[in-house]
Amino acid sequence: MVRKGSLLIGLSLAAVFPGVKRACAQGNPDIHVVVNMVQLNVAVTDKKGSYITGLRPEDFAIVEDGILEKAATFSEGNSPTRSLSEIAAQGEAVSVPGMQVSPEDVATLSNLVNGANVFVLFDTSDYMYRGFVFAQDAISDFIRSLGTADKIAFYSYSRDLSRAAGLTADRGQLLRAIRSTVAGDQAALYNALLLTLKDAAQNTGRKVVVVFSNGPDNSSVVPPEDVAEFAQSTGVSVYMISTQQARLEPVSTAVFDRMTAATGGKAYFAKNWRDEHMAFNSIRDDLDHLYSLSYYPKVNPNSGWRSITVKLVGEKLKKYKVRTRNGYRPQPARFSAEGKSAAGGN
Amino acid sequence: MNSSLCLSILATLSLFAGSLSAQNSSEFVIPGPQRSFLRMAGISQQVTPEEVLPLLSRNAFTEGYERADHPTEFLILLRRYVVQARELTSLAAQSGMVIRVTNCDDATQLLRILGYRTRGICGKPETTLLTEDPERAFLAIDSGFPLPELEQTLQGGKPFEYPYSSTAVPVIFPEGDWTKASKKNYVELSKDLLDTILYDPSVARLYWALSRLDPETRTFLQQSVGVTKLLPYAAVIDFYGGEICVSSGKVRVPGGTNAESGWKDLVGVSPSSPAAFVTRLLAKDKGWLAAYFDVLSRASQEQQQYFTDARRLRFFYNGLRSPEAAGGAIRGAFRPAPGMLLLATRLRFDESGAPLIPGGIKVWQEFLSQSHNANLVHKWTRQNGKLSEPDDLVQTMFALSRAPTESGPLQIFMMISELDGRRAAGHHLSAATVGLLARKFEDVSDQYRIFSEFPELDDDSIAHFLEVIQAVNRAPMAYRGNASGILQANVGIWQILARQGQISTSHLNDSWQRVISPFSGIRSEAQVFEAGRTSLGELFRFSTGKVRGSQDEIIELLAGPEQKTPEGMRMHREVANRIRSVLDDQRLVSLDTLLAVGDGLVEKAKGNRPEEYVATLAAQTREFEMPRPIFTNGERTEWAAGVYNNHHTDTEMHSDLPKVLKSPTVSRAQIDDARGQLASFLRDTLVGLNYAYYEPPGAQALHNNPLFVRSHDFAGESIGGMKTLWQAPELVGQGTPAGGGAHFVGSLADLPYALASLEQDFIAPSSVQALVWAEVTPELLTSATVPRWWDTSPLELHAVALYQKAGEELLVASEKDEVLRGKVLDVLSDRLLPLRLSQVQHALESGQTEQLIPRMMPADTFYLAAEFQRKYPDETGALGSAIQELQDLARQHPEEVSWGRLSHDFGTPHPRMAQNYGLELLNVAPMPPFAGESNRFLAESWDSPNLYWARLADEGGYSPVMLNHLVPELTLAMIEKIFATDFEDWGALLRAMHETGAEFKEGKLGTQSRLSSARP
Repeated sequence: MVRKGSLLIGLSLAAVFPGVKRACAQGNPDIHVVVNMVQLNVAVTDKKGSYITGLRPEDFAIVEDGILEKAATFSEGNSPTRSLSEIAAQGEAVSVPGMQVSPEDVATLSNLVNGANVFVLFDTSDYMYRGFVFAQDAISDFIRSLGTADKIAFYSYSRDLSRAAGLTADRGQLLRAIRSTVAGDQAALYNALLLTLKDAAQNTGRKVVVVFSNGPDNSSVVPPEDVAEFAQSTGVSVYMISTQQARLEPVSTAVFDRMTAATGGKAYFAKNWRDEHMAFNSIRDDLDHLYSLSYYPKVNPNSGWRSITVKLVGEKLKKYKVRTRNGYRPQPARFSAEGKSAAGGN
Repeated sequence: MNSSLCLSILATLSLFAGSLSAQNSSEFVIPGPQRSFLRMAGISQQVTPEEVLPLLSRNAFTEGYERADHPTEFLILLRRYVVQARELTSLAAQSGMVIRVTNCDDATQLLRILGYRTRGICGKPETTLLTEDPERAFLAIDSGFPLPELEQTLQGGKPFEYPYSSTAVPVIFPEGDWTKASKKNYVELSKDLLDTILYDPSVARLYWALSRLDPETRTFLQQSVGVTKLLPYAAVIDFYGGEICVSSGKVRVPGGTNAESGWKDLVGVSPSSPAAFVTRLLAKDKGWLAAYFDVLSRASQEQQQYFTDARRLRFFYNGLRSPEAAGGAIRGAFRPAPGMLLLATRLRFDESGAPLIPGGIKVWQEFLSQSHNANLVHKWTRQNGKLSEPDDLVQTMFALSRAPTESGPLQIFMMISELDGRRAAGHHLSAATVGLLARKFEDVSDQYRIFSEFPELDDDSIAHFLEVIQAVNRAPMAYRGNASGILQANVGIWQILARQGQISTSHLNDSWQRVISPFSGIRSEAQVFEAGRTSLGELFRFSTGKVRGSQDEIIELLAGPEQKTPEGMRMHREVANRIRSVLDDQRLVSLDTLLAVGDGLVEKAKGNRPEEYVATLAAQTREFEMPRPIFTNGERTEWAAGVYNNHHTDTEMHSDLPKVLKSPTVSRAQIDDARGQLASFLRDTLVGLNYAYYEPPGAQALHNNPLFVRSHDFAGESIGGMKTLWQAPELVGQGTPAGGGAHFVGSLADLPYALASLEQDFIAPSSVQALVWAEVTPELLTSATVPRWWDTSPLELHAVALYQKAGEELLVASEKDEVLRGKVLDVLSDRLLPLRLSQVQHALESGQTEQLIPRMMPADTFYLAAEFQRKYPDETGALGSAIQELQDLARQHPEEVSWGRLSHDFGTPHPRMAQNYGLELLNVAPMPPFAGESNRFLAESWDSPNLYWARLADEGGYSPVMLNHLVPELTLAMIEKIFATDFEDWGALLRAMHETGAEFKEGKLGTQSRLSSARP
């Protein structure tokens, strides 16, 4: 989440609802929604799923609620993020009329977007009991497989969340955290995922949550749709790594498929925990090849759900598939409590 | 208890004060590192060696079996781990009790035991460990074997060295006492203590039970009765042994020396023959006599005198052992008959010293004759004559206490006694009111707590409320939920404002009647909205003098009385913003909007055209968007049948108030419909204010599930079969992903606890293996959300700290003064079970007071100082500076430092034990666990945290008003640190509390409040 340089779009009631006299007359503060710079992780693949690289900012068209938005920054994979004005100044063909991004913003982004923040969430509930040791092996392999630029946090959950290792580049610390997990009891996947997303959202740059779970959930009090919305609104992609055992439970399968798709991530169902290498490679490839685009939303009176569509421009590119989150909900910021994140779309 | 202290003991197994223990009978060597063993045994890593075997025994017995003797997965794994640990011990023995690996060849045997293999060319950096034997690998992982370090060695790193020393822990009695007593020491098993505990649940239970007896009693029983003969009574000792105490050659009995003959008569053996007395006590009446002994021991000294009177002791027991009630007192995993404990500890007495019988004996005669226990009562009256005296009724209550119900005559009697007992002389409940409350108990008893909290509410107010409930129940289903929700939400706001002193005591009855009256004659949904609006207006009138106010004004009111100091204003703003934050995240329509639209519809009904902005405002009712669906409607029907049924929200989504307001041709019926639709939104916002006020620290559902408040089901629409919708809400939809999230069904009664129960699962424990403590955590959270400190003076805050320090000074002074020590222990015996009392005595006698003090509960030291001062007012003068300062303060400000005042300001709510959300310090010893909801007794018996936080605040120079921020923050931090083995692990709470306090003192917590430290 990039707070610096964010735009506070003040949508007073008078502007949105011109007739609101009484509230103002009574001295109530205006209602605002906070919309920071919206950041998108975009995967572009061909029919076979191979990543398409080398695209340029002008190859992307970002549409929010039908409004064509102007990209503010752009990067590919682990390359530094640059503002489009910077790219233009270097003679690259970019059209950025009216865009205003301070150099400070760009420097911050460049520093922070290199490498991703990967939050690994491991299901240690009863449902994983039989595959517990194999899943641990798999997660260890996954950690080893990630690039050194990435920072990783490792959490586990059953009924409660355990923050076994905070974000770190120290792989040894992470492996010790993985091997220190204990088998738990009930499963509260969506509670734990929400808390993990909240932690992830505190960070700038690309952030993903990778969940190792076979489902199901028998304890959560928040529903998956709220968790998915939070992930979308904070720009965190969710990946789910499961085995075919998860397919036996249609509720989990539906959530895994749909939540990951909505956030720009993916769900994987390997034959067993020993056979997750394809999933690991895919996630690693995602992290290496995602395009990172951001934009500052133009004035948009919609304080509810805002849909996002990213398309490729030009006939030659239309054959490729684009995967990214499909929208976000700006948060009302009128009475946010002290210390509470009032983040909107990031 | 007031009788002679239980022991002059020396040795003690310390469940409480590890370093305080002295001698131990023997030791047992547990294979492998203690850390690994504790992980596998589900025991906190913070326990002392003395606690290991008792807690192992407890877990083996309580967690180790299902379906009779069938071992659970927990026990199977633990047994397997012991085998693996023995193998590793043998391996380590080859290298001086160190597992040493220098290269791949060295690792072969170790990897086999651990269940792992290498992948890749061993010795190369890419070498990794993979599971080979999942059963063994699971044990290695679950016990915390350092695999990553071993892996590094196999990658060519430095040699792996892992000290694998076994751990010696103290054993109660010689090991042979236990192994020989077990009938399950089969030939194929080794007969050591560990195997005996892991394979024989009766031995495990007896070990756990005896570990909780004071050492003198325990040793006496071992020597005079023997482990083998005690084994059949393991369950009785487990449930009811904690108060059995043998001292100076006799058993200490409830009621003291005066009651000894009564107990002799009852047991059949004199307490002066302790071995025979105890064994008879344990054996008689399937444990009921032991249960009787136990609950009477837990009563205060005054109550013991009543219950153990020469005639009553047997008279009441005759009631308890009623032949009508089946089953023993030791069936099940938890103690039965929680009502009996309440009866013994909470029975109230009138001015003459007789039991308080609310409404008089006749009303109870009548009620009992009509109740569902009538047969039992008839039998009683045939056998024992009529219920003509209070004692007859108490006896009947003992008889009924065995009935496994939470809404029987005993529960009714205790609830109404709490209501009546708090009323001043001359203002007791009438017989008619008592009868009414008794008859309605099953349906609405949880609502009665408000009458306990505000005894000023008179008979008319109570009767009127019950009439209004009846009227709401008669409303058609279509708007019954809205009527019920709005009524309860406004009552909830009334309760908050009354508790905070914003509705004056002299107006409590009047305001109450005015707030509830509008709901008594509802005939349409439009009238529901009008009733809610009128009722809200009355709340404003009685709290501000104005007839109408804005949403902001009501939030300001709820946030607390107006503050004048900068830090007070800052705290007030913070609390108000917390409320606003919840309303925001629940996306609720502002009260201002709803009332303005309501006005517009009234104008419309009169044929006037509402102003333009009203329709614009009304559009806010259409702004709410449902979360983006993940499931189709068909999937929800299939996967969450009976749970996902949000009729209320669906109705709101289909409303179109702007259209009605804008339409030039609209009928009166359409306008009425529109006003009815407003009622749904009004309900949400008012209910949202209640939820927001009681938001527990760390809450997530309130901020991330925008349907949470809207989904509160007051009418039982989302789940079939619920008959008690006016009782405490039940959580529905938990763990049902397609169900739209968890929500409450039922009333707003007990809302603080219900919210805390739901939100506790978002607390992440700081220790890997610690689980948030489902039974106690909600109570801790409730104690941090209900109390507020707006009018507490710095002097009161200082007095709370002084009381705790003065208690500590008394302990220090009693170390070298035997007479004083006797008095100190006598006072503490009111609050400490015999085991803990023995530990305190031992510490004082052996000069370990310095180590003892951090292990004392703040509520205990607080009580010690207060009660000692009351009992011995002339003896405290020169015992310490805090005592002296406290005495000076008491002389100058008797009211502010009085027990009553401080109990009110720093106490906690006890909705189950005292039927009251008001604040008080109850002064009870820790309650034992019971099954189900009655387990809340245990949680409510812990009053210490707020006293401790107040002391920290005083010592840190904070203003009392800062407690409004500090208490929730520190309580949440404390809960995160709790690393308990079981729900009676009070030591774990104390450790977590002190760790939190240490972090606070180091500046790691409370920094926001620290910014404006108040007192110079």
